[in-house]
Amino acid sequence: MASLFSASLPSSDPSYSFNQAPTTASEPRQHAFYPYTDNGGSTLGISGADFTIIAGDTRSTSGYNINTRYAPKLFKIGGDGPNNENARIVLSVVGFAADGRALKERLDTVVKMYKYQHGKDISVHACAQRLSHLLYNKRFFPFYVTAILGGVDDEGKGALYSYDPVGSYEREQCRAAGAAASLIMPFLDNQVNLKNQYDPNSGPGLEKKPREAQPLPRETVEQLVKDAFTSAVERHIEVGDGLQTMIITKDGIQETYSPLKKD
Amino acid sequence: MNHLPQAWGRPRDDVYGAYNPHYLPHSHGGHQAGHPNQHTQSPIVTGTSVLAVKYNSGVVIAADNLASYGSLARFTDVHRLKVFNKKAVVGFGGDVSDMQYLDRLLLSLHVEENYAGSGDVDDKESDVALMSAKNLHTYLSKVMYKRRSEFNPLWNALLVAGLTESNEPFLASADLLGTTFSAPTLATGFGAHLAQPILRRVVPDEEASKALTREKAVEAVKECMKVLFYRDARSMNEYSIAIVDKESGVDLKLDEKLEGQSWAFADRIRGYGTQTA
Amino acid sequence: MLTHIRQTSIGTGYDLSNSVFSPDGRNFQVEYAVKAVENGGTAIGIRCKDGVVLALEKLVTSKLLKKDANKRIATVDRNVGVVYSGLLPDGRHFVSRARDEASSWRSSYKAPIPGSSLANRMGAYVQAYTLYNSVRPFGITGIIGGWDAETELAVDGSVGSGPKVGAGGKKQGVKEGGPFLYMIEPSGLYWGYYGAATGKGRQTAKAELEKLKLDPKNGECISLEEGVKEAARIIYLAHEDSKDKEFELEMTWVSAVGGPTKGRHEEVPKALREEAERLAKKALEGEDEEEEKMEE
Repeated sequence: MASLFSASLPSSDPSYSFNQAPTTASEPRQHAFYPYTDNGGSTLGISGADFTIIAGDTRSTSGYNINTRYAPKLFKIGGDGPNNENARIVLSVVGFAADGRALKERLDTVVKMYKYQHGKDISVHACAQRLSHLLYNKRFFPFYVTAILGGVDDEGKGALYSYDPVGSYEREQCRAAGAAASLIMPFLDNQVNLKNQYDPNSGPGLEKKPREAQPLPRETVEQLVKDAFTSAVERHIEVGDGLQTMIITKDGIQETYSPLKKD
Repeated sequence: MNHLPQAWGRPRDDVYGAYNPHYLPHSHGGHQAGHPNQHTQSPIVTGTSVLAVKYNSGVVIAADNLASYGSLARFTDVHRLKVFNKKAVVGFGGDVSDMQYLDRLLLSLHVEENYAGSGDVDDKESDVALMSAKNLHTYLSKVMYKRRSEFNPLWNALLVAGLTESNEPFLASADLLGTTFSAPTLATGFGAHLAQPILRRVVPDEEASKALTREKAVEAVKECMKVLFYRDARSMNEYSIAIVDKESGVDLKLDEKLEGQSWAFADRIRGYGTQTA
Repeated sequence: MLTHIRQTSIGTGYDLSNSVFSPDGRNFQVEYAVKAVENGGTAIGIRCKDGVVLALEKLVTSKLLKKDANKRIATVDRNVGVVYSGLLPDGRHFVSRARDEASSWRSSYKAPIPGSSLANRMGAYVQAYTLYNSVRPFGITGIIGGWDAETELAVDGSVGSGPKVGAGGKKQGVKEGGPFLYMIEPSGLYWGYYGAATGKGRQTAKAELEKLKLDPKNGECISLEEGVKEAARIIYLAHEDSKDKEFELEMTWVSAVGGPTKGRHEEVPKALREEAERLAKKALEGEDEEEEKMEE
């Protein structure tokens, strides 16, 4: 504190009444506008034999603040009207929520236009390709989101696609995204794709055969999702408040909400 | 003689050289080498927090009447709550000139909305529907998102308070990035740190807001305005408060004074100014 | 026969083209446009002490049209209404232009357009359609009515109240503005009126309007509420000549900021309109009885 006041000692030069004279001629100060923010939260998706489940927490954050405890990251795509009745595709977005919303609205329009023009619902794999294009077309000013798209494919199997912000995508068995992706993904690798799991009776030591991943039954998957999120909530401050899940089958979308810890 | 009238009375190029407009803004032919076209990069005159709470039959929203120029309390009679119609009030935080722009935008929207309708009438029978707070929030958030995408943001944090088409209480926010969210209690700026925890204690969830009375909601908001005045250096003790109720419509009070202040806590504060220990 | 044609100048060729005068100084296209107006439903405007009423005899052209839908009196700015008689699509265009004028005035001056300026601009616009060969004149006569704010109005979007005294302060108790009513004809001619009428029943309507106390120089003018009732009565009376046709009464009003419409142009509330219609019908019956007595 004392050094602050000793800065301008009495002198014959013209001086400033305040303690710090500008050291250099003031240049135009660049305070650039940054068009992105991170709204936290996590999403995850797992596909089964005849269903896909997508889940996300409902907390929205900015910095250490909680904006709201209920901001959905899961959106029904297509179907009828503004409430997407009879939809069969779900998009989850995590990252910058405003971009997420804009992306969801674009995809929803595209999917609805598809039905108006072709007289049939879009297939998940076509929708997935289209979503990739939407992201890629804006690659020089990207939608800052990690998207996961889920549905049931033409053969009736659960379909799950995951994306990076500029449209690179692949079909997967499971994917976690967002703030707690690094917490949830290894758990999913182990529990869904059975990574690092070996058949104990298949031989001695390193010769043990890895267990083969099989599509999991719905009850198991639902429990995995719950466990993944209750664990993530414990270890990540941006995850919590509520868990929204959507289960897509050939009969439609089943949506549930269950509370998570609010701390 | 030069026959071009625009050249008359001007220094001759052959004597003085061509006019150098480099210092002029881009819009007037100026261009400084290495300096790209600039948009708003920071707010200038600003308003601080806006608070709002949903209760069983409406929403309470409040903001103080101060517009600051940096740390200077520049204007002390600036009303930052704008009534759109019987169903919607907007509260503005952040840059005041951008608030004025949005206010004019809302005015022209209101005029256009009433070309067909007949004033502030909301009547299902005659097919006259009033623009709801929800509609207005969607509109405003798209304006905000579009401007941020053009790298020319409107430097505001907005709260839209009012009623939905079906006259349910509605409260949501939009900011300069186009981020939107909705909750039973909301606060922008410093209020997000100081008021929101207090409001959440009164109204932890949607259920609690459905049980909250108008009186309790007003009381909670007024208490928070007081706390903000104690702690936010860019706040003042005069404020506007609006109540949008499904029964009684909009009740806007513009020049309220904080009541029952107590600075008894102040002499216990350590760590600022001369009291370093 | 030939002399007859020459006398009316019809068929001389001077009536075929817009913007061309006949040798006796007439523009026939404009006169034909006036004919189009004379067939339209009666439209009137009354400038009262504390507001303006616009009323319209909306002729029902089909039983398949929904009642009380398809409104014809338009809002141009919050405080301004327009009613017209003649070719309806021309009227729509007229209204659209008026809205553009009002909103562009707002974006320039951050304040609502004064009635006189709006009338002036619309007059100039309509007049321009008598000048060119590529266009035809408007087939409507428009009535513009509204309320210019009396007190100093805040600039749109302005914040704060400004200095209360001294330089840049406000002059206390200044009153200007008030109700306005203008009528614009196909030629572009416009005047400000106390009472204006156009369309089929304009003669009857004008005669009735002249009986009302509307000129402030002759003492107290009628109030806005009286104006509403008179407007309804006049429209019902003007309809007597085309009794066989069904019609709907459409009425709007504008009052001062302190009045019932808070300075806005709005539809007259249903209850008040129905009351006015009841009184109008009663007045007509009374007149019939008197006529019958006279005949006896």
